Amino acid sequence: MEYVSPIDTSTRPPEAPNARPPEIAGRRVWLLDIAKNRSAEFLDRLEQLLSGEGAKVRRARKPTFSKPAPEEVIEKIVLHGDLAVEALAD
Amino acid sequence: MAPAEEIVLSNITGGSAPLSEFFPGVLVFAHSDCPTSLLALRRLAGVSNGIVLVAEEEPAAAARLARRTRVEFPVLSQAAGLAASRAFEIETVPTAVRVDARGRVEETVVGWDHGAYERLLDTSLPREEPVWKPGCASRTMHDWTDAEGLDVIEDMFERGWTDGLPVVPPTRERVETMLGGRDPTRSLGHVPPTLGEATLERVAACAVLAGCRPEYFPVVVAAVEAALDPAFNLNGQAVTTQPAGQVIVVNGPVRNAIGLNTEMGALGPGFRPNLTIGRALRLVVALTGGGYPGRLDRATLGHPGKLSFCIAENEEASPWEPLHVERGLPRGSSAVTLVAADAPLSISDHRSRTPEHLAATLGWAAVASWSPFWWPLDTHSLYVLCPEHVDLFHAHGWEKERVRLALYEAVRRPAGELRGPGETTARVLAAPPEEEIPRWDDPARILVVVAGGPAGRFSAVLGPCLGMDAEVVTKEVEWST
Repeated sequence: MEYVSPIDTSTRPPEAPNARPPEIAGRRVWLLDIAKNRSAEFLDRLEQLLSGEGAKVRRARKPTFSKPAPEEVIEKIVLHGDLAVEALAD
Repeated sequence: MAPAEEIVLSNITGGSAPLSEFFPGVLVFAHSDCPTSLLALRRLAGVSNGIVLVAEEEPAAAARLARRTRVEFPVLSQAAGLAASRAFEIETVPTAVRVDARGRVEETVVGWDHGAYERLLDTSLPREEPVWKPGCASRTMHDWTDAEGLDVIEDMFERGWTDGLPVVPPTRERVETMLGGRDPTRSLGHVPPTLGEATLERVAACAVLAGCRPEYFPVVVAAVEAALDPAFNLNGQAVTTQPAGQVIVVNGPVRNAIGLNTEMGALGPGFRPNLTIGRALRLVVALTGGGYPGRLDRATLGHPGKLSFCIAENEEASPWEPLHVERGLPRGSSAVTLVAADAPLSISDHRSRTPEHLAATLGWAAVASWSPFWWPLDTHSLYVLCPEHVDLFHAHGWEKERVRLALYEAVRRPAGELRGPGETTARVLAAPPEEEIPRWDDPARILVVVAGGPAGRFSAVLGPCLGMDAEVVTKEVEWST
């Protein structure tokens, strides 16, 4: 029996993240605040820890957690970062 | 289909039994849900030679059938697939087939016919009334097993093409009928969260799976278009831990043309157009968009309306502008309006005699939605007002806007009372204790539609979907009579 699939099988499979680097000293680490309640508090602590390890920490923020990050935010992280941490809280 | 000589069935203990062992002979096809089968088997019970019951039953049920009818001749069982019934093209039970040594059909008797059976078996049978009785449908006529023995309904589950309930398999023919000549490659956009492309063909497949009739399809298409409008932010809704789903409100002549229910039971269940249109949209989200519950749909609880939620406004019972006209479309047009909303909360009010009192009851019910100390709500609440409540407002000359304002004004609490043990908003925390905080930040957050039967004073409020920036979106239905 021939059926018509409701599923778009051409959907791109998820890409694996890069391997974790052996150390973060000197690396440019972006912390992306997804704009959930109290995300900033969590990221503040993370920034403190990462800076203590010698990372160069920078911060970015999505306008809203409920939508994908705007292209310009993603581009900024990709062009000017070695690592990124996307974090939420509630 | 297997040749009759190669068919292997089961005996009543589950052992294998080649059908050819009973060639030549008389094969009696029957099943236990058929009164004529029972009658025939009881009349044949004492026959001992050259006859076999080929039951359209599992072995245990075949054994019960033999006991009930006291047959003394051999009994065979057909498992799923009904290979023997299909090989002999049995459409009615009982059917007796006399076959030769190679299984070729020599003579057939359909139903119960005393004289025909005596001739077929070349023996006398007890003559009792009725001597003739028509048979019943064979299980081949209504089971869901195709010729290859594959259960097509189970196959849909195995493919994952379901929302947890059985679906209608989207065969090429059904999908083409649903499309009705429309371009199958036309894209309505990409459905979050996996961004699968909603071609008309895939949307039609979802409509078939949902059980839609082809005349519902224009409404489904408009609903998908509205859901994919970026302003609706389906992306956030599809993956949130919130329970909210997508509610379709249908307005205009298309409601009556396709039989959408606007009256008793307007929020369901019981009405195919409402249930299948709402279901089709949800299948597009869950399958084409990959927002399947428990996978990328991360809803902690969800709610039953996420299976299907399609309301048609009872414009005939409303003295007010229907929702789509209120939202800028011309009267006489047909439209869908998409609202991101939680499950409905019923509001009983059989005692209010003034519109102010009724507005207060309706408004205060919304305190139970979302979270009781989270004031104000900064997105939409959808009120479904029943005709009797609407009549009370209308009798006092209240238009919809006045109802909206009255609900908004009625529900306020001092900030100090909202700083209780539960979660609350930054606005409440920053306000002086005596500041009156409204339930909604704007009266425009209150949407009003009219639906339901003529009797009973039960309205409902559908709670909001907060934090999603999900605007209400209305799209005209491209439809012609």
